Amino acid sequence: MPPETYSSNNTAQSVLGRIAPQDFIGREETLNALVSLSTRDETAHGILLLAAPSSGASELLRQAYDRLFHSFENGVAPVYFDWSAADGNSEMAARRFLYTFLLQTTAYLQRKPALVYAQPTLGELVEMIPVSDDQWVGALIEKYERARRESDEDALVRLCLSAPIEAAAKGRRTVVLFDNAHLIEELPGKLALSRELLQILSRSETGFVLSGLRRRLRDAISYEEAHIVNLSTLLLVNLNESEARSLTVRLSAQLSVELNDAARELLVHQFSGNPLFITSVMQAAQRSSRMLTSFLSCQKTYVDELMGGRIKHYYDSQLARVAPSHAMRRTLVRLLYESAMGAEGKASIDSWQKRLDLSPDALQNLIRALHGLEIVSHVGESIKVSDELVWRDYLRAQYRIGVAGEARARVVVEALLDALKRAPQTLDRHYRRKSALALRPLLDRFDWQRVPASLLHYGKFTQAYRGRQAGEIASGLAGETELVRLPQIVYTASAASYYPSPDFICEEEQCVVAHGFDGDFYTDSSEVVWLAVEMDGQKEAGRGAVEWWHERLVNLARRSGFGRVRLWLIATGGFTPDAMKFLSEKDIYASNRHQIELLTSHLEGEAASVVLTETASDEFEIVIPMGGDSELIAANAAEMIARRINFQPEAINQIKTALIEACINAEEHSFSPDRKIYQRFRLESDKLVITVSSRGVRLPASLPKDVRGSQDREDNASNNGLRGRRGWGLKLIRSLMDEVEFERVDEGTRLRMTKFLRPPE
Amino acid sequence: MEITESGVKGEVICSRVEGSVAIIYAQGYLNKISGEQTERECRNRLEDGYRALVLNFSDTQIVNSIGVSILLGVIDAVEETNSRLCFCNVNNHTAQLFDMLGLTRHVYLAPTEEAALAWSSKDQTAGVAAAAAATAN
Repeated sequence: MPPETYSSNNTAQSVLGRIAPQDFIGREETLNALVSLSTRDETAHGILLLAAPSSGASELLRQAYDRLFHSFENGVAPVYFDWSAADGNSEMAARRFLYTFLLQTTAYLQRKPALVYAQPTLGELVEMIPVSDDQWVGALIEKYERARRESDEDALVRLCLSAPIEAAAKGRRTVVLFDNAHLIEELPGKLALSRELLQILSRSETGFVLSGLRRRLRDAISYEEAHIVNLSTLLLVNLNESEARSLTVRLSAQLSVELNDAARELLVHQFSGNPLFITSVMQAAQRSSRMLTSFLSCQKTYVDELMGGRIKHYYDSQLARVAPSHAMRRTLVRLLYESAMGAEGKASIDSWQKRLDLSPDALQNLIRALHGLEIVSHVGESIKVSDELVWRDYLRAQYRIGVAGEARARVVVEALLDALKRAPQTLDRHYRRKSALALRPLLDRFDWQRVPASLLHYGKFTQAYRGRQAGEIASGLAGETELVRLPQIVYTASAASYYPSPDFICEEEQCVVAHGFDGDFYTDSSEVVWLAVEMDGQKEAGRGAVEWWHERLVNLARRSGFGRVRLWLIATGGFTPDAMKFLSEKDIYASNRHQIELLTSHLEGEAASVVLTETASDEFEIVIPMGGDSELIAANAAEMIARRINFQPEAINQIKTALIEACINAEEHSFSPDRKIYQRFRLESDKLVITVSSRGVRLPASLPKDVRGSQDREDNASNNGLRGRRGWGLKLIRSLMDEVEFERVDEGTRLRMTKFLRPPE
Repeated sequence: MEITESGVKGEVICSRVEGSVAIIYAQGYLNKISGEQTERECRNRLEDGYRALVLNFSDTQIVNSIGVSILLGVIDAVEETNSRLCFCNVNNHTAQLFDMLGLTRHVYLAPTEEAALAWSSKDQTAGVAAAAAATAN
């Protein structure tokens, strides 16, 4: 029967698609590539679609089918065929293919979408074929009946699979979309089915797609086979961030599930853009009439799905495929969990052999199946359990309930507590990544350019340019005679990929290894490795933090066997004099964020904007970019608003100063992805309420103590009276305003401050 | 009298000298950038040998906490060189701010530039501590 599609309107025309075309998010490029198979005349007409598990390959193929089906004018009939182990053997699968081919071609030619769900007999089907195509169909059926009578299995399989060639020979072009093609190898039969299929397809002009699990399909189709057919390869992985966000928003509208920004971001990043998991949680929220407007509601829905919903069902069915019996599954869950808990989540094949009562071949098949599903990675003699977050949550819950026999309620509540604790960390990691300086792209642009030396020497830079305006700095840099020649960088990677230590995993995107050459020739002696790190914290980095990073980078270089290295430390607020002394002693390059921006603008540049919105007669919203004195714009707006209810000049000045401090605080103390400050002004008869918020999270307390060193010292200094340098903002705000409140929100902290109107004294 | 300018058009830090006193004119919004410009000008004058500085705030309407923290750097520099520092023409709101953050314990706020000059040349041997005591009284 036709699929039940959910759509935001009723204009969608789905044939096989389970999602209305206008609601199918992302994948446009891949979809276009599949659909364009119908317009090709050349012989290179095959696509190998290597899909990650649950990345939505089947729906993509069905969407491609629907688009092709509705392109009546080119006369190219689409055929979607889903390989299934349920066919039992290659002959049955081939016969089902022939039937599907004829049925769907007829549905296309008759312009009858509903026909693809009908189940006519072969005889009835032949009668439905239009006159234009009855000749080749008749001939094909005749050959089929003959092969069947002669019980020639090989001939029968070849004949069925050759249906597209027979059709093409008589002028009926088709595009065949093979789904779950990795299952071909599971079908027993005398013929090597995948090889046979490829050979047949290579002889025809039929456009075709072989789609399946990427690891299994790579195994099933050898390089030589792919080369013979001239297959082009496409990869299908999770949705990218923006597509995942669009999907979440679209589902929220379709399903009428209220969703706020923080919950949306959590879904996008917690599930790494996996469409199945995002859709499952959104649909579950609809079923339980739950609004997704907080981390709590989000994670409750997720844990419900994990413990008894579609996410659990998905993993249950994956495990059931590789371990059909309950007892075997239980043993497998235990083994997977214990392996996951082992060093680096790994176990040896020997240890699995000892624990599982399986023949070597059966064990090999089991591991191969798990590897294909990406539940484990099988490399050499070891098995590494996937550390994908949702899978690990599922595995832990299954082990605790099904193997360790723990009370379900306890497991549920602990899963929820863990998920909640993880939520801010998930976004924290994302925002850090977003607000990071993008060191890798910057290093990738190094190509033997000469740049002013002060950009890589913080001491020189502050000495020359502290207190200077942008124009002065630009002309100063242009006139500098001391230049540093950058290397030509040929490869960059995260430090964590060289040395997976906790020191580098937590700074994955911020510590970069860049290989290159700093001489004129590609020789051993000119080979150099730059180790660049963006240090944490918004203020000056102290000596402790600098020494900490120096030690780790030197250690990384030693362990990785790097020859000549150049260390480069970057601290947003620069370095303390003590730290600079150490940097100079060790000949380490050092820059603050401003220097990096200047270095980057040697190659590029950007601008910002201010948006002022009046929402109601007594309520105003302002969004300002961080930096560039934009807090003054907010302060001036506050002044105009405060004048509306006749605040006295002194009170207006106090409001302005408090607002400026709140903006500075928002800028200094959060990792903001959009670098904007949101302000809301609400006028009441006797007061003005100002709310200042920024997206992003507060600086975490979980950093190593010595890395936080400089920041801690700053914070302490502010408590030591006049000789402190910073940290007065909040003290000032509290003194200048009548009520100051911090509201804890999922994405960080929102500051709300109130000033009451007093009659003039 | 010598008048110098530093900075770029629109945000010029002016200073002049009168006898042994250097007068620096803070400009506009005293934040990180203009604060550092002011600090730089003060340090330059100290390096030139002037031992009394007057910081004139007549063109400064708003000061933020970063600007205040930079002024502390100026106070430090003045103390390190046994010099004297006086602020003048500070508007009421900014004066309240300085008071709130304790700056007035370390620096004398004169109502006008003339008063500041008079205070600065009155007792060249007295340090900032004496000024603070005078302010407190």
